[in-house]
Amino acid sequence: MVLLAVAGCHTSMNTIENAQKEGPRQMISDQRIITDGRLAKKVSFVGINQTMTPGGLLKVQIEVLNCKRSLQSFSYQFEWFDASGMLLNNVASPTIPDQIEGGESKFISSVAPTPACKDFRVKFIAN
Amino acid sequence: MKHKILLPVLAAAVSLLSAGCATNAHYIQTGGTQSVVNIGQINIQDYMQAADTMTGELLASGALDKVANPPAVLAISRIVNNTGQQIDTDLLTKKIRVALLNSGKAQTITTMGLGGTAEDPMAKGLQQENEFMNDQKTTRKPDFTLSGKIIQLAVKAGNTSQSTYSFQLSLTDPKTGLAVWEGEKEITKQGTRSSVGF
Repeated sequence: MVLLAVAGCHTSMNTIENAQKEGPRQMISDQRIITDGRLAKKVSFVGINQTMTPGGLLKVQIEVLNCKRSLQSFSYQFEWFDASGMLLNNVASPTIPDQIEGGESKFISSVAPTPACKDFRVKFIAN
Repeated sequence: MKHKILLPVLAAAVSLLSAGCATNAHYIQTGGTQSVVNIGQINIQDYMQAADTMTGELLASGALDKVANPPAVLAISRIVNNTGQQIDTDLLTKKIRVALLNSGKAQTITTMGLGGTAEDPMAKGLQQENEFMNDQKTTRKPDFTLSGKIIQLAVKAGNTSQSTYSFQLSLTDPKTGLAVWEGEKEITKQGTRSSVGF
């Protein structure tokens, strides 16, 4: 019974993609502050890439990987900063609940609310 | 004798435990992880998430940057509520309007509304008076109109309820009548009862 319940929680994922990429990602260096080691062991950061939209807004994409074999729930929130490092108040800056399947790699992205945004920070919290 | 001693101890333990579970009224971060989650209702965090996602998509699309005289002028059209609950669609549209205004990409007309009803009747009156006195039209025609729909899809399996809320928006160019941008954000919630926290 217990084995069946445990087996029911396990998920995993296989993927396939084109090997010769037409659009290589512009990866950027990142700085990480880990205070929840348990979450970091489950949902790890693979990397960040960014681009500019046609309207001159910074678009950021973060790749996260579920290192475990079971579904993980977490929430994240983007914060944006101007050229002086000041936090820009965004009227709808939600904490977004998300899920990631066992072994899955997924992307989380956001667009800066104004062209004045130069830097960003993303907070992750376990649900 | 044993029971006589045990009963008051048990009663005290139960009352202590229930006191521990009860929470006094307190402030939380709006839309934060401690928010109440209802399956049959759209919560504030759902509006925030839908507005943030669709604003981001709209800004990234560049549709607002294609106007001759930026920033683009927006008029808010009908947002149809197709859910089973009474909602104020401004909880969605106002967040989008504020975000677009702050981005510098669009401004919203408040002297124009559905059926000739202005959102700000005083501004409309003053604008008409101004136009009459100066004998010239000052009203800028909107570059785009924003319309949409909120749909609820509820299903149940045994004790488990599930609701999907679909937030749909269209940005239409009134000169051509064509939708130049369309966005949809779906939020699904599942569970047996409402809860506090994500």
